[in-house]
Amino acid sequence: MKVIAFLNNKGGVGKTTCSRTMAEYLSKVKKMPTLAIDFDPQCNFSHQYLKMEIDPAAPEGLIPPIHPDYNSHDLEDADWDGRSSIAEIFYGQGVVPYPTYIEHLDVAPGHAEKLLAAESVRKSEVVEKVHKQLTNFLSSPDVLAAYDSVVIDTAPSKGPLTVSVIKAATHIIIPSVMEEQPVQGIYGMLQLWMQESLAREKTRPLKLIGILPNMFKQTRLHKDILKSLQDNTAIGKYIMPVKLSQRIVFAEIDSEDANPHSIFDYQQSHVAKDEALEVCSYITERIFA
Amino acid sequence: MTKRKRFGVSQALTRGLSETIHVVENNAGIFRNVILPLSRIELDPDNPRKLTISLADVQNGLDKNDVAYERKSAELEKLRELANTIESSGIINPIVVYKRGETYRVVAGERRCLASILAGKNEIEARVFNEKPKGFELKLIQWIENTAREDLTLEERIGNIRDIIQEYQLQHNTDDLSATLLKTITGLSLPQASYYLAVLNAPHDLKRAIENGKIGSLDKAAIIAGIGSDELRNQALQACIEGCSLKELRQIIAKEKQAHKKQAMPPKSKRGRVVTRVNMGFTLNTMVVHSIVAAVLMQPDFKKYADIFSRVKWDQYDQAARAFQKLIEILEHETVR
Repeated sequence: MKVIAFLNNKGGVGKTTCSRTMAEYLSKVKKMPTLAIDFDPQCNFSHQYLKMEIDPAAPEGLIPPIHPDYNSHDLEDADWDGRSSIAEIFYGQGVVPYPTYIEHLDVAPGHAEKLLAAESVRKSEVVEKVHKQLTNFLSSPDVLAAYDSVVIDTAPSKGPLTVSVIKAATHIIIPSVMEEQPVQGIYGMLQLWMQESLAREKTRPLKLIGILPNMFKQTRLHKDILKSLQDNTAIGKYIMPVKLSQRIVFAEIDSEDANPHSIFDYQQSHVAKDEALEVCSYITERIFA
Repeated sequence: MTKRKRFGVSQALTRGLSETIHVVENNAGIFRNVILPLSRIELDPDNPRKLTISLADVQNGLDKNDVAYERKSAELEKLRELANTIESSGIINPIVVYKRGETYRVVAGERRCLASILAGKNEIEARVFNEKPKGFELKLIQWIENTAREDLTLEERIGNIRDIIQEYQLQHNTDDLSATLLKTITGLSLPQASYYLAVLNAPHDLKRAIENGKIGSLDKAAIIAGIGSDELRNQALQACIEGCSLKELRQIIAKEKQAHKKQAMPPKSKRGRVVTRVNMGFTLNTMVVHSIVAAVLMQPDFKKYADIFSRVKWDQYDQAARAFQKLIEILEHETVR
């Protein structure tokens, strides 16, 4: 099972769009059993597939809806409130992924309040309580049996949540806008990649697929910064040879009643779809070949 | 027309990014730092540092009937000093271990382990090799860890080097060994490497003196090892054991050589690089330059250049220097070889 994470501690660089595109490519195009995990307290990734609810008691944000398998009359479900988010791993609870409108895609949604709580765990306890939990969950036999790939969307932070994703991942991708501040975010992520790589055994390396130029515009700023990164011998190897352009269609498919709802449902040779296919097949080739 | 601005990533960031990438590419998966229970750690019986004291001695206390009791209690005393610092501030550098079944074998850090047990610790920070280092690498790590230590005897240090050489020759299937090679393997300086080689191949009398701890200095041992005549070597050896200095030792040999030497001819060949140009030297007094320039300009052929030097402020170094360079230029141009 491959665990693919999109990371950048700068917000607004398109982590969620990339995660979504990748998860839909693997499940829809490649028909691969895929689990989408939303590790961002903003829960935007979850919202693509579930009608997330506003919890009146939790002003911090969204919570998952009632699970379709939940039956309040069933004794087995007596101890369950019917909602399940990926944050349950921090509370010793089981995670029950939700099915989505895509056949091979399940989602383990975020839970704003619970994820934020995990992010603010005290330093002395963070290793046991947060860092290891996602790895434990993803190495459980049930999860290994059910999925061939896992795609994780992360919070724009370098905190315990992101660290736990890095510890659980087999492959990471750093999407970045070709501007100074997001590129600084790349540095933060490379630091985490370094710390984790040095700590891991050789047999289980953390592979950096690369830096994905995202929301790319044919402007001098974007072109120059991309070129300066490509021209550096050390960094250049890690700049992916594919990119996603800035396109309004990615925002359009975000809305709840959008039709089509997935970029891969667009007609043949749609320019954005082609680009997404190119990026995803490159990543897939690198990971699964 | 003005050039359009080029954008790029700041130098500091580019440097940070590429440095981070290099660290990962060069070091990923070689070892990891962890906290290990001391109960899982065992010492390496082949470690070049021959501590007499054992894990059991430290755990259970010394046995008075032990033949090595005296040496062990001296060692224990030293370990207690280290234990005191470990108690207050822990170990500064993690020990180095590799996994060996259920336990971890120490590559470097025996004393830190033993002292940590004495300090009542249950765990120790360790750097774990994911694979057992190969013989040669293992010896090399132990050597590197030990090399800075002052309390190793000369014999222990020589033993170290001998092991490294053996492992190296075994691994590379070669008998070849030069001081340059030893320098490359160990990072010793070239003179040090050749000293070690000299001592390794030393005659028996010298070797015995080193084994008995009578000679503790590598430089002295190397000098003695280089003496061909048995008689003279014995004389130097005795002098050394009696505590003569390096200088005195050299004098003994020089005197002896002098006596045997018959009017050696000075070497004909010149030493150093071939001289192909004249160094014009330097001066702190700018007026020297002024005088030279003035003297040259008085020559009939050079009067025409006087204008060039008319505005030079002779009390300023940069102007004087530039004027002198200009003068040389002119002279090179005007003077036929």
